[in-house]
Amino acid sequence: MTKKLLAILVVALLAISLVPATGQEDKPKIGFLPGVVDPFYQVMELGVNQAVADFDLEVITQYPPSWNVSEQTPIPDAYVARGDLDYIITAPVDKDQMIAPLQAAVDAGIKVITVDTFLGDGDYIDGPVTFPLSYIGSDNVEGGRIAGRALADVLGGEGTVYVQNTNVGVSTTEQRGEGFIEAISEFPGMELVGMDYNLDDANRAAEQTSATLQRVPDLGGIFGVNVFSAQGAGNAVIAAGLGGTVQVVAFDATQFAIEMLRNGDVTLVIAQKPFDMGYMAVEFAMADWRGVTSLPRRVPTGYAVITAENVDDPEVARFIYQVP
Amino acid sequence: MAVDSQREAALQPVAPKRLTGMQQFVLTVSRVWGWVFLFLLIVFFSITGTGFLSLRNSQNILVAIVPVLLLGLGQTFIIIAGGIDLSVNYVMGLASVVMALVIRDLVANGVDETLAILVGMALGIVAALIPGLLNGLIVAKLRVTPFIVTLGMAFVARGVGYLLSDGNVVGGQPPGVRLFGNEALLYYIPGDGGGLYFLQRPEAAGEQLRVLERIFPWPVVVLAIVVGFGIFLLSKTQFGRHTYAIGGNREAASRAGILVDRHTILLFVMSGFTAGLAGVLHTARFNGGSAIAGEAQLMPSIAAVIIGGVSMFGGVGTIWGTIIGALIMAVLQTGLVMLGVESFWQWIVVGIVVIVAVLIDQGRDLIKGRAEAQLSE
Repeated sequence: MTKKLLAILVVALLAISLVPATGQEDKPKIGFLPGVVDPFYQVMELGVNQAVADFDLEVITQYPPSWNVSEQTPIPDAYVARGDLDYIITAPVDKDQMIAPLQAAVDAGIKVITVDTFLGDGDYIDGPVTFPLSYIGSDNVEGGRIAGRALADVLGGEGTVYVQNTNVGVSTTEQRGEGFIEAISEFPGMELVGMDYNLDDANRAAEQTSATLQRVPDLGGIFGVNVFSAQGAGNAVIAAGLGGTVQVVAFDATQFAIEMLRNGDVTLVIAQKPFDMGYMAVEFAMADWRGVTSLPRRVPTGYAVITAENVDDPEVARFIYQVP
Repeated sequence: MAVDSQREAALQPVAPKRLTGMQQFVLTVSRVWGWVFLFLLIVFFSITGTGFLSLRNSQNILVAIVPVLLLGLGQTFIIIAGGIDLSVNYVMGLASVVMALVIRDLVANGVDETLAILVGMALGIVAALIPGLLNGLIVAKLRVTPFIVTLGMAFVARGVGYLLSDGNVVGGQPPGVRLFGNEALLYYIPGDGGGLYFLQRPEAAGEQLRVLERIFPWPVVVLAIVVGFGIFLLSKTQFGRHTYAIGGNREAASRAGILVDRHTILLFVMSGFTAGLAGVLHTARFNGGSAIAGEAQLMPSIAAVIIGGVSMFGGVGTIWGTIIGALIMAVLQTGLVMLGVESFWQWIVVGIVVIVAVLIDQGRDLIKGRAEAQLSE
């Protein structure tokens, strides 16, 4: 009896799955796959959701538990297995190792748009990886340059600067450091005194910054490539009684970074535009679905520079990563 | 069995007259090499760098070792008792997040600032005691090896920390939090119009603020009290002797009437406490709670314990050794950065020191074992 019921149930389920969901065929269904849970991607999700609402689409969102290839890979695999998705909008956590899992999605007929991070070298026309529709994200080298120029500007084009970086081999933070050093070299009066890696540990960042302040007593400014780096650098500067004298630049406008700005731990905050990335990626998916063929393969979203003076200006404050 | 007897032998005092000159030399080296190495490092950096040997730098180093040494303290007790705690780094993060959340929400709801801070710190530590207690219960009562239990607990604590903080740094702390994390017991302003100030931070601005020395910042004071108590507990009390006995030979300790299970649970709770304290001090110093506050501190905390001469097989070691281990790492880090050398060299040197430390300890155990065998002949 039970067996019969089960059999009927299975057949019924199969029958249902064969019936196409009516009214859905003219709209794409989107899978969103961020890199890790953090305010940056949460704001990006707000952008995705806004566009999805505006176009009356459906979206599935799944965050990997940590920034890791082996934790991100099962999610596109599951997206493919569902069989109902048309686009995956994703921030690949590794430019090489995520190629195969996303290629598998493309093979299954799902189109891929990368946001924030990229596959291969990010050049989807002439580069080693060309299957994604587009790469929408900040140019991190340019972000580093903007940080460098902004710091040089505050210092009047003269002085010594130091970089607090996170880990070797992380493309985004390495590029920010690279761009910063490049911009500093444009100023004859500016000198780079060193770059240290803190492993995302504010305590280590503070320790290294304290030591650098001892070595270079007249240090002019510090670039912290992410929030933890700036947090440690700012703490060391305040402890040395150099608050307001040594200028600290923080990358990424999380609410905590803005708090540090208001406390005087940091002087400048460089904001990316994750909302733009999320919204535009959905727009691109919609446009592609409608047959638009001129979509740019690379869209650099811009930056905003936030200071204590302009932080309350609504035109600037809207770039703070705020998750309701 | 052979290993056990050797381990017990290592605990026994050895009659020096039965040792050869070479053996005595090795034993002396095994006792003092950590101090000597630390001293040589300080001499080296003082000669090569400018300002290494300064009041300011000494305080920077003391502040830097706070998390490593607190995690290493709980670790020292557990490793001496023959276990290990791999969850301390994320338990630290969990405490950091809980404290910051409690304080933020209490203050937002109009609770008095001081009260909110005290409640926040207390709950931060309680949040760290829970995984410690669970570690201890599972290890002692269900007989699961500490390596596995605490590895699992590390993941759990990490997940809970992320969930509670939503992956963010938890800010919104009132000024008192920052004061506790960054102000000091003593202040000193050199030169005219300066002087020594106790508890009260002098009004200083401009150049005076720059030369103002914070001597014994509060996190360092807390560290000193806890470490001092730890040294007393391990070297002067029955609790300490039981810890060595359990690590030396668990069966024998149990037969001798030591409540091994209860003791094991207590040790893991203590490790939770020191990790929790490290998290609370992190939130205070950096004005915000983070689930990964301690992420990078696990390996250094174990390295400090090993450099300090604690045997991974249990039964041997001191807290002074762990202090030396933590200081060696912090001095290397600070010294190399002051020299402008890539700080990656620190890891290479620390790695070599860890291995050398174990070799020296093995030599010590071997000689003590032989001497003991000679005596019993």
